[in-house]
Amino acid sequence: MDEKITQRSVWEKISAKLSKRSLWMLHYCTGCGAIELPPTMTARFDMERFGINPMVTPRQADILLITGYLSVKTLKRVVLTYEQMQAPKYVVGFGSCTINGGMYWNSYSTMKSLDRYIPVETYIAGCMPRPEAIIASFNELINKIDRGEANSWKDYYNNYNFYKENQEHTFEGPIETYNDIKADAALFNIK
Amino acid sequence: MNTVLWIVFLPILLFVIGTFMLGYSRKYVARIERRYGPPIQQVFYDIFKLMSKKTNISHGWMHDFAILMLLGGTLLTMYFVPVPGFHFFAQYGDMLVIMYILLIPALGMALGVGETANPNGSIGISRALMMLAGYDIPFVLTFIGFAMINHTTSMYELIQVQQAGGFAGWGLISQPLLGIAALIALQGMLGEKPFEVMVAPHEIATGPMTEMGGKFLGIMMIQHAISIVVELTIYINLFLGGAVNWFDYLLKLFILFTALISVNAVFGRFRTDDAVRFMWKIPLPLAIIGILFIIF
Ligand code: SF4
Repeated sequence: MDEKITQRSVWEKISAKLSKRSLWMLHYCTGCGAIELPPTMTARFDMERFGINPMVTPRQADILLITGYLSVKTLKRVVLTYEQMQAPKYVVGFGSCTINGGMYWNSYSTMKSLDRYIPVETYIAGCMPRPEAIIASFNELINKIDRGEANSWKDYYNNYNFYKENQEHTFEGPIETYNDIKADAALFNIK
Repeated sequence: MNTVLWIVFLPILLFVIGTFMLGYSRKYVARIERRYGPPIQQVFYDIFKLMSKKTNISHGWMHDFAILMLLGGTLLTMYFVPVPGFHFFAQYGDMLVIMYILLIPALGMALGVGETANPNGSIGISRALMMLAGYDIPFVLTFIGFAMINHTTSMYELIQVQQAGGFAGWGLISQPLLGIAALIALQGMLGEKPFEVMVAPHEIATGPMTEMGGKFLGIMMIQHAISIVVELTIYINLFLGGAVNWFDYLLKLFILFTALISVNAVFGRFRTDDAVRFMWKIPLPLAIIGILFIIF
């Protein structure tokens, strides 16, 4: 990892410094956590201070915030949403359910670990995390971008076979998405 | 030589002014909502981030082309609107030309969004064109009335006439009905609340911008920043006596913009039909009465 960081050019460093100040967030709230987001956005905790704004479409968003558990059906929508986002894109897993299944460990219909299906940049532990924790994790993400370490989105292009295999295993069949990930990686020269 | 410098640097200058104004408006609205708000240069960060995106999914050549048409139409309008120190093109194109080319960006957007085939985008475009029918008629009427009294359609000459009359010569003071009608129409033209039906993030997911990501959205934001300044400048030139120097100009921009975003900050959003109905109920009759006063 260290070699990669030292290899960054001056332009990439400046670029990271500037673009970490503007992160637009798409929140996918089918779990329990949506109730913690309004205080994070409004007067009490005001995440717009850090340039983090809620956005409404995946095309414009940089952060995909997944609050809580995903069932097989919602996971498919998350994968579709994630593939529509423009790189660099960062997934933040919110709550224990995205980390290891949480209290839905024994459930027959929920996913246990989010990072087997899409690459996750940071996790927020807790059931459910408070707005302070959300702000703290966004700050951690900002610092990671500044250090040039927030590169997990490249995994999806480089290790696409791994993710696709896990997805298809869960969906018990091929998944039809609208993006050709490998062609995109070649077209935009992502390594 | 001077003209060439102006032609090169005017877009950059207006872009910088426009982005700071957008940043200021976000801070202003945040303070009204009792938040701390983003730094005033936030919009620069946003545009930089969008332009440095690694992937930019395009939906076809019309999508690419329409974005350029959007920016080009705005830049074209910008050159025809006189600002203090630069009115080179104003002699070639009068207010009629400006009213005409002001429509190019909206049409460009309609073409590009049509290619993306997103239903939210199409709804956004139909709403934008509805709003256009709403605000453009009062705006054109106020301008016609103003041209009738002064017997000229050249924006530069209109500024001269107003400045000759001093403070009482300002369009807003001498023709208050027209001035107020145009002010309401301007709010619709800028797409600020309560006439924000085109973007409406909570209903139709930012409408025309739904499928725009990365550089596409970045160029749209640049265009938005410039077009805000241009539209405010048109109002200043017609109704606030133009501007003698840049200090005067920036001050008037600042005051006018603050007034408009104050309305924006405290209002909700009209439904589309209500917004058009409002435009045809209040500013349109105001403009017609104003014109009747001028005729008789
Ligand atoms: S982590 Fe807790 S709060 Fe979050 S989705 Fe799971 S059970 Fe609900």
